[in-house]
Amino acid sequence: MSQPIISVKDLHIWYNDFHAIKGISIDYLPNTINAIIGPSGCGKSTFVRTLNRIHEEVPGARAQGSIMYMGKNILSSEVDPVDLRRQIGMVFQKPNPFPSMSIFENTVIGLKLQGEKNKSKLMEVAETCLKKAALWDEVKDKLNKPGTSLSGGQQQRLCIARSLAVNPPVLLMDEPTSALDPIATGKIEELMTELKKEYTVIIVTHNMQQAARIADYTSFFILGELIEHGLSSDIFTNPKQKTTEDYITGRFG
Amino acid sequence: MNYYTWRKAKNYFFHSLLSISAVLVLIPLFLVVAYVVYKGISGLSLDFFFNTPKPVGEVGGGMVHAIMGTLYLVALGSLIAVPIGVVCGTFLSEFGDGKIAKSLRVAIDLLTGVPSIVIGIFAYILIVIPFKGFSALAGGIALSLIILPIVTRSTEEILKLVPQHIKEAGLALGLPRWKVTYFIVVKGNLKAILTGVILAISRAAGETAPLLFTAFGNRYVSTELLSPMASLPVQIYNYSISPFDDWQAQAWTGAFVLIFLILGINLTCRTFLNRKKILEKVTRQK
Repeated sequence: MSQPIISVKDLHIWYNDFHAIKGISIDYLPNTINAIIGPSGCGKSTFVRTLNRIHEEVPGARAQGSIMYMGKNILSSEVDPVDLRRQIGMVFQKPNPFPSMSIFENTVIGLKLQGEKNKSKLMEVAETCLKKAALWDEVKDKLNKPGTSLSGGQQQRLCIARSLAVNPPVLLMDEPTSALDPIATGKIEELMTELKKEYTVIIVTHNMQQAARIADYTSFFILGELIEHGLSSDIFTNPKQKTTEDYITGRFG
Repeated sequence: MNYYTWRKAKNYFFHSLLSISAVLVLIPLFLVVAYVVYKGISGLSLDFFFNTPKPVGEVGGGMVHAIMGTLYLVALGSLIAVPIGVVCGTFLSEFGDGKIAKSLRVAIDLLTGVPSIVIGIFAYILIVIPFKGFSALAGGIALSLIILPIVTRSTEEILKLVPQHIKEAGLALGLPRWKVTYFIVVKGNLKAILTGVILAISRAAGETAPLLFTAFGNRYVSTELLSPMASLPVQIYNYSISPFDDWQAQAWTGAFVLIFLILGINLTCRTFLNRKKILEKVTRQK
Protein backbone atom coordinates (compact mmCIF):
# COMPACT_ATOMS: atom_id res chain seq x y z
CA MET A 1 0.00 0.00 0.00
CA SER A 2 1.35 3.42 -0.95
CA GLN A 3 2.00 6.35 1.34
CA PRO A 4 -0.91 8.68 2.05
CA ILE A 5 -0.74 11.98 0.15
CA ILE A 6 -2.74 13.79 2.81
CA SER A 7 -2.85 12.67 6.39
CA VAL A 8 -5.29 14.37 8.74
CA LYS A 9 -4.70 13.81 12.47
CA ASP A 10 -7.00 14.87 15.28
CA LEU A 11 -8.38 17.88 13.43
CA HIS A 12 -10.59 20.29 15.36
CA ILE A 13 -12.25 23.31 13.80
CA TRP A 14 -14.11 26.11 15.52
CA TYR A 15 -16.19 28.97 14.24
CA ASN A 16 -15.80 31.34 17.18
CA ASP A 17 -17.33 29.22 19.99
CA PHE A 18 -18.97 26.66 17.75
CA HIS A 19 -17.03 23.41 17.65
CA ALA A 20 -17.68 22.30 14.06
CA ILE A 21 -15.16 19.46 13.62
CA LYS A 22 -14.33 17.35 16.65
CA GLY A 23 -11.10 15.46 16.24
CA ILE A 24 -11.13 13.82 12.84
CA SER A 25 -8.28 11.65 11.53
CA ILE A 26 -8.25 10.32 7.95
CA ASP A 27 -5.50 9.28 5.52
CA TYR A 28 -5.96 9.90 1.82
CA LEU A 29 -4.11 7.77 -0.70
CA PRO A 30 -2.85 9.18 -3.99
CA ASN A 31 -4.89 8.61 -7.15
CA THR A 32 -8.08 7.76 -5.35
CA ILE A 33 -11.50 9.31 -5.17
CA ASN A 34 -12.62 9.91 -1.61
CA ALA A 35 -16.20 10.80 -0.79
CA ILE A 36 -17.44 12.51 2.36
CA ILE A 37 -21.11 11.95 3.13
CA GLY A 38 -23.31 12.98 6.00
CA PRO A 39 -26.37 15.06 6.87
CA SER A 40 -26.42 18.83 6.38
CA GLY A 41 -24.47 20.74 8.99
CA CYS A 42 -22.19 17.81 9.85
CA GLY A 43 -19.06 19.75 8.89
CA LYS A 44 -18.28 18.14 5.52
CA SER A 45 -17.75 21.46 3.77
CA THR A 46 -15.86 22.91 6.70
CA PHE A 47 -13.58 19.89 6.64
CA VAL A 48 -12.63 20.10 2.94
CA ARG A 49 -12.36 23.87 3.09
CA THR A 50 -9.70 23.45 5.76
CA LEU A 51 -7.65 21.17 3.51
CA ASN A 52 -6.58 24.15 1.39
CA ARG A 53 -7.07 26.69 4.16
CA ILE A 54 -9.84 28.52 2.31
CA HIS A 55 -11.71 28.25 5.64
CA GLU A 56 -9.60 31.21 6.75
CA GLU A 57 -11.86 33.38 4.60
CA VAL A 58 -14.61 32.96 7.18
CA PRO A 59 -14.04 35.37 10.07
CA GLY A 60 -13.71 33.56 13.38
CA ALA A 61 -12.71 30.20 11.91
CA ARG A 62 -9.69 28.41 13.40
CA ALA A 63 -8.26 24.94 13.08
CA GLN A 64 -6.21 22.77 15.42
CA GLY A 65 -4.49 19.46 14.86
CA SER A 66 -2.40 18.46 11.90
CA ILE A 67 -2.93 18.01 8.18
CA MET A 68 0.27 16.55 6.76
CA TYR A 69 0.90 17.13 3.08
CA MET A 70 4.33 16.66 1.46
CA GLY A 71 5.93 16.33 4.87
CA LYS A 72 4.55 19.55 6.28
CA ASN A 73 1.65 20.45 8.52
CA ILE A 74 -0.28 22.78 6.25
CA LEU A 75 -1.95 24.42 9.24
CA SER A 76 1.36 25.75 10.51
CA SER A 77 2.19 29.37 9.85
CA GLU A 78 5.28 28.51 7.80
CA VAL A 79 3.09 27.12 5.01
CA ASP A 80 1.90 29.92 2.74
CA PRO A 81 -1.77 29.42 1.85
CA VAL A 82 -1.10 30.78 -1.64
CA ASP A 83 1.49 28.06 -2.35
CA LEU A 84 -0.73 25.45 -0.72
CA ARG A 85 -3.70 26.28 -2.94
CA ARG A 86 -1.58 25.78 -6.05
CA GLN A 87 -1.09 22.23 -4.80
CA ILE A 88 -4.62 21.61 -3.57
CA GLY A 89 -7.25 23.02 -5.91
CA MET A 90 -10.94 23.41 -5.26
CA VAL A 91 -14.22 23.21 -7.15
CA PHE A 92 -17.23 24.77 -5.46
CA GLN A 93 -20.85 23.80 -5.08
CA LYS A 94 -22.16 26.57 -7.28
CA PRO A 95 -20.53 26.90 -10.71
CA ASN A 96 -18.65 30.19 -10.41
CA PRO A 97 -16.81 31.18 -13.58
CA PHE A 98 -15.51 34.75 -13.45
CA PRO A 99 -18.34 36.76 -15.02
CA SER A 100 -16.19 39.29 -16.85
CA MET A 101 -13.99 36.71 -18.54
CA SER A 102 -14.34 34.60 -21.66
CA ILE A 103 -14.23 30.80 -21.61
CA PHE A 104 -10.57 30.92 -22.63
CA GLU A 105 -9.62 33.53 -20.02
CA ASN A 106 -11.49 31.63 -17.32
CA THR A 107 -9.55 28.48 -18.08
CA VAL A 108 -6.07 30.00 -18.01
CA ILE A 109 -6.54 32.87 -15.53
CA GLY A 110 -4.75 31.04 -12.71
CA LEU A 111 -1.72 30.34 -14.84
CA LYS A 112 -1.78 33.77 -16.44
CA LEU A 113 -1.83 35.56 -13.11
CA GLN A 114 0.99 33.33 -11.90
CA GLY A 115 3.05 34.99 -14.60
CA GLU A 116 2.69 32.84 -17.73
CA LYS A 117 2.59 35.29 -20.65
CA ASN A 118 3.33 33.05 -23.63
CA LYS A 119 0.10 33.01 -25.65
CA SER A 120 0.68 29.73 -27.44
CA LYS A 121 1.54 28.05 -24.13
CA LEU A 122 -1.70 29.41 -22.60
CA MET A 123 -3.68 28.21 -25.61
CA GLU A 124 -2.09 24.79 -25.27
CA VAL A 125 -2.95 24.59 -21.56
CA ALA A 126 -6.51 25.77 -22.25
CA GLU A 127 -6.98 23.03 -24.83
CA THR A 128 -5.50 20.31 -22.62
CA CYS A 129 -7.53 21.30 -19.57
CA LEU A 130 -10.78 21.77 -21.44
CA LYS A 131 -10.24 18.34 -22.98
CA LYS A 132 -9.56 16.82 -19.56
CA ALA A 133 -12.76 18.46 -18.32
CA ALA A 134 -14.62 16.96 -21.31
CA LEU A 135 -15.71 20.42 -22.43
CA TRP A 136 -13.42 21.09 -25.39
CA ASP A 137 -15.72 19.79 -28.13
CA GLU A 138 -18.60 21.90 -26.86
CA VAL A 139 -16.68 25.16 -26.59
CA LYS A 140 -13.79 25.03 -29.05
CA ASP A 141 -15.61 27.31 -31.51
CA LYS A 142 -16.63 29.89 -28.94
CA LEU A 143 -13.66 30.33 -26.64
CA ASN A 144 -14.18 34.10 -26.67
CA LYS A 145 -17.76 33.94 -25.43
CA PRO A 146 -18.29 34.81 -21.76
CA GLY A 147 -17.92 31.88 -19.37
CA THR A 148 -21.31 32.67 -17.92
CA SER A 149 -23.00 32.10 -21.29
CA LEU A 150 -22.61 28.34 -20.84
CA SER A 151 -25.18 26.04 -19.22
CA GLY A 152 -24.83 25.17 -15.52
CA GLY A 153 -23.19 21.81 -16.17
CA GLN A 154 -20.82 23.29 -18.73
CA GLN A 155 -19.95 26.10 -16.31
CA GLN A 156 -19.07 23.56 -13.65
CA ARG A 157 -16.83 21.67 -16.09
CA LEU A 158 -15.26 25.03 -16.99
CA CYS A 159 -14.55 25.58 -13.29
CA ILE A 160 -12.95 22.13 -13.13
CA ALA A 161 -10.81 23.00 -16.18
CA ARG A 162 -9.87 26.26 -14.47
CA SER A 163 -8.70 24.36 -11.39
CA LEU A 164 -6.78 21.82 -13.48
CA ALA A 165 -4.90 24.56 -15.34
CA VAL A 166 -2.72 25.28 -12.33
CA ASN A 167 -2.08 21.53 -12.14
CA PRO A 168 -2.76 20.71 -8.48
CA PRO A 169 -2.03 17.12 -7.43
CA VAL A 170 -5.10 17.19 -5.16
CA LEU A 171 -8.55 18.42 -6.12
CA LEU A 172 -11.22 19.21 -3.53
CA MET A 173 -14.81 19.23 -4.68
CA ASP A 174 -17.55 20.64 -2.49
CA GLU A 175 -20.82 19.18 -3.75
CA PRO A 176 -19.85 19.87 -7.36
CA THR A 177 -22.97 18.34 -8.87
CA SER A 178 -25.67 19.42 -6.44
CA ALA A 179 -26.81 22.21 -8.78
CA LEU A 180 -26.77 20.05 -11.89
CA ASP A 181 -29.16 17.73 -13.69
CA PRO A 182 -28.48 13.98 -13.95
CA ILE A 183 -26.93 14.21 -17.42
CA ALA A 184 -24.46 16.91 -16.41
CA THR A 185 -23.81 15.01 -13.18
CA GLY A 186 -23.05 11.89 -15.18
CA LYS A 187 -20.53 13.78 -17.29
CA ILE A 188 -18.77 15.12 -14.24
CA GLU A 189 -18.66 11.71 -12.57
CA GLU A 190 -17.14 10.21 -15.70
CA LEU A 191 -14.65 13.02 -15.68
CA MET A 192 -13.69 12.34 -12.07
CA THR A 193 -12.90 8.70 -12.73
CA GLU A 194 -10.74 9.94 -15.61
CA LEU A 195 -9.01 12.51 -13.36
CA LYS A 196 -8.17 9.84 -10.79
CA LYS A 197 -5.30 8.69 -13.02
CA GLU A 198 -3.42 11.91 -12.37
CA TYR A 199 -5.05 13.50 -9.36
CA THR A 200 -6.32 12.72 -5.91
CA VAL A 201 -9.93 13.78 -5.52
CA ILE A 202 -11.78 14.51 -2.29
CA ILE A 203 -15.46 15.11 -2.89
CA VAL A 204 -18.27 16.16 -0.57
CA THR A 205 -21.61 14.87 -1.71
CA HIS A 206 -25.18 14.58 -0.56
CA ASN A 207 -25.82 11.94 -3.12
CA MET A 208 -25.00 8.51 -1.70
CA GLN A 209 -25.44 6.74 -5.01
CA GLN A 210 -22.82 9.11 -6.36
CA ALA A 211 -20.40 8.21 -3.59
CA ALA A 212 -21.05 4.52 -4.15
CA ARG A 213 -20.59 4.87 -7.92
CA ILE A 214 -17.36 6.80 -8.07
CA ALA A 215 -15.55 6.83 -4.74
CA ASP A 216 -12.86 4.34 -3.73
CA TYR A 217 -13.16 5.37 -0.09
CA THR A 218 -16.04 6.97 1.77
CA SER A 219 -16.16 8.78 5.10
CA PHE A 220 -19.36 9.30 7.01
CA PHE A 221 -19.64 12.40 9.22
CA ILE A 222 -22.24 13.32 11.80
CA LEU A 223 -22.15 16.51 13.84
CA GLY A 224 -18.46 17.08 13.30
CA GLU A 225 -17.42 13.53 14.09
CA LEU A 226 -16.17 10.78 11.83
CA ILE A 227 -18.49 7.84 12.30
CA GLU A 228 -16.94 5.52 9.77
CA HIS A 229 -14.27 5.57 7.10
CA GLY A 230 -13.39 2.78 4.71
CA LEU A 231 -13.66 1.30 1.24
CA SER A 232 -16.88 2.47 -0.39
CA SER A 233 -17.79 -1.11 -1.15
CA ASP A 234 -17.68 -1.90 2.56
CA ILE A 235 -19.44 1.26 3.75
CA PHE A 236 -22.35 0.81 1.39
CA THR A 237 -22.79 -2.93 1.55
CA ASN A 238 -21.51 -3.88 4.94
CA PRO A 239 -21.26 -0.88 7.31
CA LYS A 240 -19.73 -1.54 10.70
CA GLN A 241 -21.73 1.11 12.53
CA LYS A 242 -25.45 1.04 13.08
CA THR A 243 -25.70 4.83 12.46
CA THR A 244 -24.04 4.45 9.06
CA GLU A 245 -26.43 1.74 8.10
CA ASP A 246 -29.42 3.83 9.22
CA TYR A 247 -28.17 6.80 7.23
CA ILE A 248 -27.40 5.03 3.98
CA THR A 249 -30.63 3.09 4.05
CA GLY A 250 -32.53 6.30 4.58
CA ARG A 251 -33.82 5.63 8.06
CA PHE A 252 -32.65 9.02 9.20
CA GLY A 253 -31.01 12.20 7.82
CA MET B 1 -67.67 43.26 -7.72
CA ASN B 2 -66.12 39.84 -7.57
CA TYR B 3 -62.64 39.09 -6.26
CA TYR B 4 -61.03 38.87 -9.66
CA THR B 5 -62.17 42.34 -10.83
CA TRP B 6 -61.21 43.81 -7.46
CA ARG B 7 -57.72 42.37 -7.78
CA LYS B 8 -57.42 43.69 -11.33
CA ALA B 9 -58.55 47.13 -10.19
CA LYS B 10 -56.02 47.23 -7.38
CA ASN B 11 -53.28 46.14 -9.75
CA TYR B 12 -54.30 48.82 -12.22
CA PHE B 13 -54.38 51.46 -9.49
CA PHE B 14 -50.89 50.76 -8.18
CA HIS B 15 -49.49 50.39 -11.65
CA SER B 16 -50.78 53.83 -12.59
CA LEU B 17 -49.39 55.22 -9.35
CA LEU B 18 -45.92 54.01 -10.36
CA SER B 19 -46.24 55.44 -13.85
CA ILE B 20 -47.38 58.80 -12.50
CA SER B 21 -44.42 58.94 -10.11
CA ALA B 22 -42.06 58.21 -12.96
CA VAL B 23 -43.54 61.07 -14.97
CA LEU B 24 -43.40 63.41 -11.96
CA VAL B 25 -39.69 62.74 -11.62
CA LEU B 26 -39.10 63.48 -15.27
CA ILE B 27 -41.09 66.73 -15.36
CA PRO B 28 -38.55 68.97 -13.54
CA LEU B 29 -35.70 67.58 -15.61
CA PHE B 30 -37.62 68.19 -18.79
CA LEU B 31 -38.66 71.72 -17.73
CA VAL B 32 -35.13 72.75 -16.79
CA VAL B 33 -33.58 71.41 -19.96
CA ALA B 34 -36.35 72.79 -22.15
CA TYR B 35 -36.17 76.25 -20.60
CA VAL B 36 -32.38 76.40 -20.84
CA VAL B 37 -32.54 75.30 -24.46
CA TYR B 38 -35.26 77.85 -25.21
CA LYS B 39 -33.32 80.71 -23.61
CA GLY B 40 -29.85 79.65 -24.62
CA ILE B 41 -30.01 78.23 -28.12
CA SER B 42 -30.45 81.62 -29.81
CA GLY B 43 -27.07 82.76 -28.50
CA LEU B 44 -25.21 79.82 -30.02
CA SER B 45 -22.68 80.93 -32.60
CA LEU B 46 -19.17 80.06 -33.69
CA ASP B 47 -18.13 83.21 -31.86
CA PHE B 48 -19.40 81.74 -28.61
CA PHE B 49 -17.24 78.63 -28.94
CA PHE B 50 -14.10 80.24 -30.35
CA ASN B 51 -13.88 83.74 -28.84
CA THR B 52 -13.10 85.20 -25.47
CA PRO B 53 -15.41 87.85 -23.98
CA LYS B 54 -15.50 91.34 -25.47
CA PRO B 55 -15.16 94.39 -23.20
CA VAL B 56 -18.36 95.78 -21.71
CA GLY B 57 -20.45 97.55 -24.32
CA GLU B 58 -19.08 95.69 -27.34
CA VAL B 59 -21.30 93.10 -28.99
CA GLY B 60 -20.29 89.48 -29.50
CA GLY B 61 -17.55 87.56 -27.82
CA GLY B 62 -17.79 84.08 -26.38
CA MET B 63 -16.87 81.72 -23.62
CA VAL B 64 -14.11 79.61 -25.09
CA HIS B 65 -11.98 80.40 -22.04
CA ALA B 66 -14.68 79.16 -19.69
CA ILE B 67 -15.33 75.98 -21.69
CA MET B 68 -11.62 75.19 -21.79
CA GLY B 69 -11.33 76.16 -18.13
CA THR B 70 -14.12 73.82 -17.04
CA LEU B 71 -12.56 70.92 -18.95
CA TYR B 72 -9.15 71.74 -17.47
CA LEU B 73 -10.41 72.05 -13.89
CA VAL B 74 -12.54 68.92 -14.07
CA ALA B 75 -9.67 66.95 -15.59
CA LEU B 76 -7.34 68.21 -12.87
CA GLY B 77 -9.84 67.38 -10.13
CA SER B 78 -10.44 63.88 -11.55
CA LEU B 79 -6.74 63.26 -11.94
CA ILE B 80 -6.30 63.88 -8.23
CA ALA B 81 -9.48 62.27 -6.90
CA VAL B 82 -10.29 59.28 -9.13
CA PRO B 83 -7.20 57.14 -8.41
CA ILE B 84 -7.43 57.85 -4.68
CA GLY B 85 -11.18 57.25 -4.69
CA VAL B 86 -11.01 53.93 -6.53
CA VAL B 87 -8.22 52.62 -4.29
CA CYS B 88 -10.02 53.87 -1.20
CA GLY B 89 -13.33 52.30 -2.28
CA THR B 90 -11.57 49.01 -3.00
CA PHE B 91 -10.00 49.09 0.45
CA LEU B 92 -13.36 49.75 2.11
CA SER B 93 -15.06 46.96 0.22
CA GLU B 94 -12.34 44.30 0.51
CA PHE B 95 -10.75 45.08 3.86
CA GLY B 96 -13.44 47.25 5.39
CA ASP B 97 -13.96 45.55 8.76
CA GLY B 98 -11.21 47.15 10.79
CA LYS B 99 -11.32 50.28 12.91
CA ILE B 100 -9.42 52.38 10.37
CA ALA B 101 -11.88 51.41 7.64
CA LYS B 102 -14.87 52.24 9.79
CA SER B 103 -13.61 55.71 10.65
CA LEU B 104 -12.62 56.22 7.02
CA ARG B 105 -16.16 55.37 5.96
CA VAL B 106 -17.60 57.91 8.39
CA ALA B 107 -15.11 60.52 7.18
CA ILE B 108 -16.05 59.91 3.55
CA ASP B 109 -19.75 60.20 4.37
CA LEU B 110 -19.13 63.47 6.18
CA LEU B 111 -17.14 64.76 3.21
CA THR B 112 -20.13 64.00 0.97
CA GLY B 113 -22.26 66.16 3.21
CA VAL B 114 -19.93 69.14 3.43
CA PRO B 115 -21.53 72.10 1.60
CA SER B 116 -19.58 72.89 -1.55
CA ILE B 117 -19.02 76.49 -0.45
CA VAL B 118 -17.17 75.16 2.61
CA ILE B 119 -14.98 73.07 0.35
CA GLY B 120 -14.25 76.28 -1.55
CA ILE B 121 -13.22 78.05 1.66
CA PHE B 122 -11.05 75.07 2.60
CA ALA B 123 -9.19 75.16 -0.73
CA TYR B 124 -8.92 78.94 -0.36
CA ILE B 125 -7.15 78.62 2.99
CA LEU B 126 -5.10 75.62 1.91
CA ILE B 127 -3.87 76.83 -1.49
CA VAL B 128 -4.94 80.36 -2.34
CA ILE B 129 -3.55 82.05 0.79
CA PRO B 130 -0.14 80.30 0.87
CA PHE B 131 0.32 80.80 -2.89
CA LYS B 132 -0.90 84.38 -2.59
CA GLY B 133 -3.38 84.21 -5.44
CA PHE B 134 -6.32 82.45 -7.06
CA SER B 135 -5.25 79.50 -9.16
CA ALA B 136 -6.45 76.62 -11.30
CA LEU B 137 -4.66 74.35 -8.84
CA ALA B 138 -6.86 75.55 -5.99
CA GLY B 139 -9.96 75.06 -8.17
CA GLY B 140 -8.86 71.57 -9.19
CA ILE B 141 -8.26 70.56 -5.59
CA ALA B 142 -11.64 71.95 -4.53
CA LEU B 143 -13.34 69.91 -7.30
CA SER B 144 -11.34 66.81 -6.33
CA LEU B 145 -12.92 67.04 -2.87
CA ILE B 146 -16.34 66.94 -4.51
CA ILE B 147 -15.36 63.95 -6.68
CA LEU B 148 -13.48 61.92 -4.06
CA PRO B 149 -16.32 60.81 -1.76
CA ILE B 150 -18.67 60.00 -4.64
CA VAL B 151 -16.07 57.83 -6.39
CA THR B 152 -15.08 56.15 -3.13
CA ARG B 153 -18.58 55.20 -2.08
CA SER B 154 -19.74 54.15 -5.54
CA THR B 155 -16.65 51.96 -5.94
CA GLU B 156 -17.21 50.42 -2.53
CA GLU B 157 -20.88 49.69 -3.20
CA ILE B 158 -20.13 48.16 -6.60
CA LEU B 159 -17.33 45.91 -5.34
CA LYS B 160 -19.42 44.79 -2.36
CA LEU B 161 -21.78 43.21 -4.88
CA VAL B 162 -19.05 40.79 -5.98
CA PRO B 163 -20.08 37.51 -4.34
CA GLN B 164 -17.74 35.90 -1.80
CA HIS B 165 -17.62 32.68 -3.83
CA ILE B 166 -16.04 34.51 -6.77
CA LYS B 167 -13.23 35.75 -4.53
CA GLU B 168 -12.83 32.28 -3.03
CA ALA B 169 -12.62 30.81 -6.54
CA GLY B 170 -9.70 33.17 -7.23
CA LEU B 171 -7.98 32.33 -3.96
CA ALA B 172 -8.46 28.61 -4.56
CA LEU B 173 -6.42 28.95 -7.76
CA GLY B 174 -3.45 29.84 -5.59
CA LEU B 175 -3.55 33.55 -6.33
CA PRO B 176 -2.39 36.06 -3.73
CA ARG B 177 -5.16 38.25 -2.35
CA TRP B 178 -3.96 41.41 -4.09
CA LYS B 179 -4.12 39.69 -7.47
CA VAL B 180 -7.63 38.43 -6.78
CA THR B 181 -8.63 41.93 -5.69
CA TYR B 182 -7.02 43.73 -8.60
CA PHE B 183 -7.42 41.35 -11.55
CA ILE B 184 -10.69 39.65 -10.69
CA VAL B 185 -12.66 41.95 -8.38
CA VAL B 186 -11.67 45.42 -9.65
CA LYS B 187 -10.90 44.69 -13.31
CA GLY B 188 -14.00 42.58 -13.67
CA ASN B 189 -16.12 45.55 -12.60
CA LEU B 190 -14.24 48.36 -14.26
CA LYS B 191 -17.21 49.42 -16.32
CA ALA B 192 -19.46 49.83 -13.30
CA ILE B 193 -16.71 51.68 -11.42
CA LEU B 194 -16.29 54.06 -14.36
CA THR B 195 -20.02 54.75 -14.33
CA GLY B 196 -19.60 56.01 -10.78
CA VAL B 197 -16.61 58.08 -11.87
CA ILE B 198 -18.60 59.67 -14.68
CA LEU B 199 -21.39 60.50 -12.26
CA ALA B 200 -18.90 62.21 -9.94
CA ILE B 201 -17.29 64.11 -12.81
CA SER B 202 -20.67 65.33 -14.05
CA ARG B 203 -21.47 66.56 -10.57
CA ALA B 204 -18.14 68.40 -10.29
CA ALA B 205 -18.46 69.97 -13.73
CA GLY B 206 -21.59 71.81 -12.60
CA GLU B 207 -20.22 73.12 -9.28
CA THR B 208 -19.94 76.89 -8.86
CA ALA B 209 -19.31 77.44 -5.16
CA PRO B 210 -15.97 75.62 -4.82
CA LEU B 211 -14.59 77.63 -7.75
CA LEU B 212 -15.80 81.12 -6.80
CA PHE B 213 -12.76 82.00 -4.73
CA THR B 214 -10.32 79.32 -5.79
CA ALA B 215 -10.06 79.30 -9.59
CA PHE B 216 -11.91 82.63 -9.49
CA GLY B 217 -12.14 83.31 -13.23
CA ASN B 218 -10.46 85.38 -15.91
CA ARG B 219 -11.25 86.65 -19.39
CA TYR B 220 -8.78 84.80 -21.60
CA VAL B 221 -7.77 81.22 -22.37
CA SER B 222 -5.27 80.05 -19.79
CA THR B 223 -3.44 76.80 -19.15
CA GLU B 224 -1.39 78.12 -16.25
CA LEU B 225 -1.73 75.92 -13.20
CA LEU B 226 -1.00 78.75 -10.80
CA SER B 227 -3.07 81.48 -12.43
CA PRO B 228 -6.79 82.12 -12.09
CA MET B 229 -8.90 80.20 -14.55
CA ALA B 230 -12.40 80.72 -15.89
CA SER B 231 -15.06 78.04 -15.70
CA LEU B 232 -18.55 77.77 -17.15
CA PRO B 233 -20.46 77.73 -13.85
CA VAL B 234 -18.63 80.77 -12.46
CA GLN B 235 -18.91 82.59 -15.79
CA ILE B 236 -22.64 81.85 -15.87
CA TYR B 237 -22.96 83.09 -12.30
CA ASN B 238 -21.08 86.34 -12.99
CA TYR B 239 -22.94 87.06 -16.22
CA SER B 240 -26.37 86.24 -14.86
CA ILE B 241 -26.04 88.75 -11.98
CA SER B 242 -24.69 91.45 -14.34
CA PRO B 243 -26.93 94.34 -15.37
CA PHE B 244 -26.26 93.87 -19.10
CA ASP B 245 -28.86 92.16 -21.28
CA ASP B 246 -26.34 90.65 -23.67
CA TRP B 247 -24.31 89.19 -20.80
CA GLN B 248 -27.46 87.66 -19.32
CA ALA B 249 -28.24 86.15 -22.71
CA GLN B 250 -24.72 84.75 -22.83
CA ALA B 251 -25.23 83.25 -19.36
CA TRP B 252 -28.22 81.30 -20.76
CA THR B 253 -26.15 80.10 -23.67
CA GLY B 254 -23.40 79.16 -21.24
CA ALA B 255 -25.88 77.11 -19.22
CA PHE B 256 -27.04 75.42 -22.41
CA VAL B 257 -23.45 74.55 -23.34
CA LEU B 258 -22.68 73.31 -19.81
CA ILE B 259 -25.64 70.93 -19.79
CA PHE B 260 -24.73 69.49 -23.16
CA LEU B 261 -21.05 69.33 -22.24
CA ILE B 262 -21.89 67.12 -19.25
CA LEU B 263 -24.25 65.08 -21.38
CA GLY B 264 -21.47 64.82 -23.96
CA ILE B 265 -18.90 63.60 -21.41
CA ASN B 266 -21.42 61.02 -20.25
CA LEU B 267 -22.25 59.73 -23.69
CA THR B 268 -18.64 59.72 -24.92
CA CYS B 269 -17.47 57.70 -21.94
CA ARG B 270 -20.29 55.22 -22.33
CA THR B 271 -19.83 54.69 -26.05
CA PHE B 272 -16.06 54.55 -25.60
CA LEU B 273 -16.47 51.83 -22.98
CA ASN B 274 -18.81 49.88 -25.18
CA ARG B 275 -16.68 50.31 -28.25
CA LYS B 276 -13.62 49.07 -26.41
CA LYS B 277 -15.51 45.93 -25.57
CA ILE B 278 -16.67 45.49 -29.16
CA LEU B 279 -13.14 46.04 -30.45
CA GLU B 280 -11.78 43.46 -28.03
CA LYS B 281 -14.29 40.94 -29.26
CA VAL B 282 -13.47 41.58 -32.92
CA THR B 283 -9.71 41.37 -32.47
CA ARG B 284 -9.92 38.24 -30.37
CA GLN B 285 -11.91 36.38 -32.96
CA LYS B 286 -9.10 36.70 -35.52
